[in-house]
Amino acid sequence: MSVSRDEVLRIAQLAELDVEEDALPELADQMTRIIDYVAQLGAVPTNGSLKVFMPGPDAIRFRADEVNPAPLALGPEKFAPAFKEGFFVVPKLGQFE
Amino acid sequence: MSDAKAVADRLAKVKRLNALLTPLKDLRKSLTAQSAAARPTGVLYGMPVAVKDNICTLEFTTSCGSRILEGYRSPYDATAVAKLKAAGALIAGKTNCDEFAMGSSTEHSAYGRVLHPFDKARVPGGSSGGSAALVAAGAVPAALGSETGGSVRQPASFCGVVGIKPTYGRVSRYGLVAFGSSLDQIGVFGRSVHDAARVVSVISGRDARDATCEDRDPLRLPTVPESLQGFVIGLPREYFPPELDPAVRRACERAVRVMKEQGAAVREVSLPHTPYAVPTYYVIAPAEASSNLARYDGVRYGPRFNGSADLRALYRSTRGQGFGPEVRRRVLVGTYVLSSGYYDAYYRRAQQMRALIAQDFRNVFDRGVDLLFTPTTPSPAFKAGEKLYDPVAMYLSDIFTVTANLAGLPAMSLPIGRVKGLPIGGQFIGQAFLEDEMLEAAYALERVVPATDEA
Repeated sequence: MSVSRDEVLRIAQLAELDVEEDALPELADQMTRIIDYVAQLGAVPTNGSLKVFMPGPDAIRFRADEVNPAPLALGPEKFAPAFKEGFFVVPKLGQFE
Repeated sequence: MSDAKAVADRLAKVKRLNALLTPLKDLRKSLTAQSAAARPTGVLYGMPVAVKDNICTLEFTTSCGSRILEGYRSPYDATAVAKLKAAGALIAGKTNCDEFAMGSSTEHSAYGRVLHPFDKARVPGGSSGGSAALVAAGAVPAALGSETGGSVRQPASFCGVVGIKPTYGRVSRYGLVAFGSSLDQIGVFGRSVHDAARVVSVISGRDARDATCEDRDPLRLPTVPESLQGFVIGLPREYFPPELDPAVRRACERAVRVMKEQGAAVREVSLPHTPYAVPTYYVIAPAEASSNLARYDGVRYGPRFNGSADLRALYRSTRGQGFGPEVRRRVLVGTYVLSSGYYDAYYRRAQQMRALIAQDFRNVFDRGVDLLFTPTTPSPAFKAGEKLYDPVAMYLSDIFTVTANLAGLPAMSLPIGRVKGLPIGGQFIGQAFLEDEMLEAAYALERVVPATDEA
């Protein structure tokens, strides 16, 4: 199955990722190869009622319902690209379709 | 006990490998302070442990080998790091890795590739290649890495050191930067089985800050056994395909002979869904990565790239410029397999296959096999650039390691021979939370296998 240039652009938009115009053909080609490779899974008979496997504890353990602030050694002003008066500063929202 | 200056000097000597991301000046300063503060009663007192750059540390920056986190300083220590410090270990800097742990050669780091310590034209494996190279070069006795599909065992095999991936849920992942949350686990490199095992023991155990960490006591180390009497070791036939490198096959056969001489019963077994493990992994891991990496948007941490026009442009330009080619590819593949119309064909299908792969292991262990023994990788360390432009070829170097991650099992690699001077690793895969049995077998094999002899 081939992934087209337009499809890469659509997926990149979903992933909020700028892709340069001249990188598109190679990216489409590499994605086609990866998707072709993983598509072999479709040919294997599996039992549709198979229970999904998840490693880890069988049941989620609940913590006591109390506020427990993480002890941070540095505040966000130290690692955020723009932070002012307790807020992360961002440009205006723009268009979300 | 090593003093701070000696530790820093040893790391300075192997600077050419590009395995360490922490500037030496910062490292010297920190090691002196850490050394003064280290608790002399700790079980790892004075032991320098290097830490992969995707594990958060207060002392040093945590960039995950990426531009998008360049200069990022975590406001807390990962639980594994806090436990190391509490045990008196010295955090010996951050090690270079494939960006966000995505890769098998440490060529996908934004900070340049890591050189194989024995042959600079070759790769040390990955993604924890910096940690493996530092241990192999003798700069540190142990280092932390992380595994999502073999990122500790594969570089351990390429570099000729021991690499342990504990059971999923054995070690807290609080402070491990998330890649594939159903697969990720912190792992350990060591010069010897014991060096690696005692670090695993220190960092393991319950942690209220990680809901996926099991409510269990830390791993208790076994004693070194007299022999392998009573062990039933399975050799899965799918891990010895006809195209296996002949030297790797010879080294494995020699290790098996040695284990038989030590009294182990050896049986051929079958894990029939093994051929589907890599495609399964390369659906599940990118899907989880595309979701986990959504948080890097130029708003809360790391640098911001252009895009002052509006918020969306900021997200897109920061992610577009901040992520390297392999991360971009995986985010796109992950988004693709999760997108409407493809979810059932890829993601659901991969989840079903994962269940079958886990069932394969249960079937074998239910029939009285204690442990599995396999080659860690299909070939020794490959040359830099050899697989860089062919993602699928790169993915296939994880063919023998991804299964343990998919099934959540403990596994480890240890050196079992050499071919033309390059190390070959043998892998044990154990049963969930039975790391002690796996380590016992590894102790016994390590003692007798001619690990540095040509196979």
